[in-house]
Amino acid sequence: MATQIKLETGGSMWKMLVRQGDDVTAGQELFIMEVMKMEVPYEAPADGKIVAVHIAEGDVVEEGQLALEID
Amino acid sequence: MPNLCSIDQTPIKIIAMSWKDETNQIHERRRLAKLQGGADAIKAQHRKGRLTIRERVDALLDDGSFDEIGMGAGDAELDENGNLIEFSPANYVLGFGKVDGRRCIVGGEDFTLKGGSPSAAGQRKSVYTEELAVKMRMPLIRLHEGAGGSVGGAKKQSLSAPVFEPHRFKSVVQAMASVPVATAALGAVAGMPAGRLVAAHFSVMSRSTAQVLIAGPAVVQRAMGEKKTKEELGGADVHTRNGTVDNASEDETEALAQIRRFLGYMPANVWELAPVSACDDPVDRQEEALLEIVPRERRRAFDMRRALAMILDRDTFFEMGKGHGRSQITGLARMHGQPVGVWANDGRHLAGAMTANGAHKVRRFIEMCDTFHLPILSFVDEPGFMIGSQSEREATIRHGANAVLTAAMSRVPWATVMVRRSFGVAQAAHYGPDGYVLAWPSAETGPLPVEGGVAVAFHREIAQAEDPDAKRRELEEMLAAKQSPFPRAESFSVHELIDPRETRPMLCRWIERIQPLLPSLLGPTGFSVRP
Repeated sequence: MATQIKLETGGSMWKMLVRQGDDVTAGQELFIMEVMKMEVPYEAPADGKIVAVHIAEGDVVEEGQLALEID
Repeated sequence: MPNLCSIDQTPIKIIAMSWKDETNQIHERRRLAKLQGGADAIKAQHRKGRLTIRERVDALLDDGSFDEIGMGAGDAELDENGNLIEFSPANYVLGFGKVDGRRCIVGGEDFTLKGGSPSAAGQRKSVYTEELAVKMRMPLIRLHEGAGGSVGGAKKQSLSAPVFEPHRFKSVVQAMASVPVATAALGAVAGMPAGRLVAAHFSVMSRSTAQVLIAGPAVVQRAMGEKKTKEELGGADVHTRNGTVDNASEDETEALAQIRRFLGYMPANVWELAPVSACDDPVDRQEEALLEIVPRERRRAFDMRRALAMILDRDTFFEMGKGHGRSQITGLARMHGQPVGVWANDGRHLAGAMTANGAHKVRRFIEMCDTFHLPILSFVDEPGFMIGSQSEREATIRHGANAVLTAAMSRVPWATVMVRRSFGVAQAAHYGPDGYVLAWPSAETGPLPVEGGVAVAFHREIAQAEDPDAKRRELEEMLAAKQSPFPRAESFSVHELIDPRETRPMLCRWIERIQPLLPSLLGPTGFSVRP
């Protein structure tokens, strides 16, 4: 069962640091959002492989939106 | 059957030699009371994935500790000989019990009888819940599922309440001012039970079974033409976000576990101190990662909860109100075994700025800590009140000033760690009177953050520059570089400038030092309660 990374806040997608198929380790930065002029990094909760990427740089995104899936 | 016998053809009622008949009936009534609304009603309750009130009480309390009150309250129907035909128990279950060996009072509506809408005796038992908690000075737990009154009214016509009856909510307030009150919404909760649900220091609702409503879908549609389900009107997504309830749980069992956890940090009442437990987490534990947790890059947010986990006693942080006013983090924890209130900013939400909702959450939180004499640990990364038109429309300055004034009136010991930003009027809420103040090297202070301040203070220079954007950036960088942590220590405007890794040992020593102060704070607070 893939782990879903959902957005905790709305904002804009600033930097995507991984691609589909990448292996990631727990604590690795996956992407960085921009919220109220602050850069908010999201980290991998566990080791795994990125199986899906649902957001892209420049997207205006909403809270709760599905960003990535890690298996 | 009454004892009848016949002597000389004349029936004479022989006076029973013992109280066996009545005693039997007492036991029979108790047996019937435990059947609640009957097998079908209980089955219907289970089919909806919900426990009955008696199952809830058993799941909440230590095994076998429930000591019920008012077992015989209810409506009895008797035949002409005085035999019991039917007994319908009061639809509110109440009693004493123990949570982790500590005494408490627990009560809740019985949804299998009249859908939890109060029966006459049920109403009396529910009112008595708070009276009992106040009198016995024990924590109160209410497990809610039920609606308020019905226009159909009670079966039997009875006298209305007298004009001199005490205010219905007086004991509710007295309870909140004197004992910890924890509540759970475990099914649909409306009307009076909804009012009592929120009259609590901690409330939790079960995501899978509960809704909280002033009025249900039928009433809403009739009055307003608005067609909404119970979940849309008052599900956990709505009420954890607006602050109606503090926490959501996956199901009923987790809701009850959260209540047990909350009570673990609380004293029995305002005349006793919170229970200090043995701490197996070393007081001198210094986490290397704290040295790097605040990024040097000023725009980069960090995970404050991770910092808290490294500083507080391991695995003791219990967050309350996470979904509401999310730029502020509030919860209970232990430090050196001492229960404490913990407040921090979450820079990942609205840069950590104090919103109207955040200020409301914080004000309630500080008042709860004051009521139960819990020392407050405050970890500041506050850029100031939220700005912009939405923030102005939400009366942020009014709610924010309330939070600041509440902190200024606080009587419990405060320790504040300046983790990063501490700006504007809003930052004043993060410091208690005579508080102990530690600053990390990453601390920044001032009337407003450099970025906003430069645009205001240097607007002429910026406007007149050849490249205004470049000029603004240059000024920002110049001023940011001037921010040094050392003058604060030199001028003794903080108690200590510290290595972030020392935070836990320093705060543990502070906890030791304040122990003699705590007993002198005991008793009710001057402000009673402002839920």
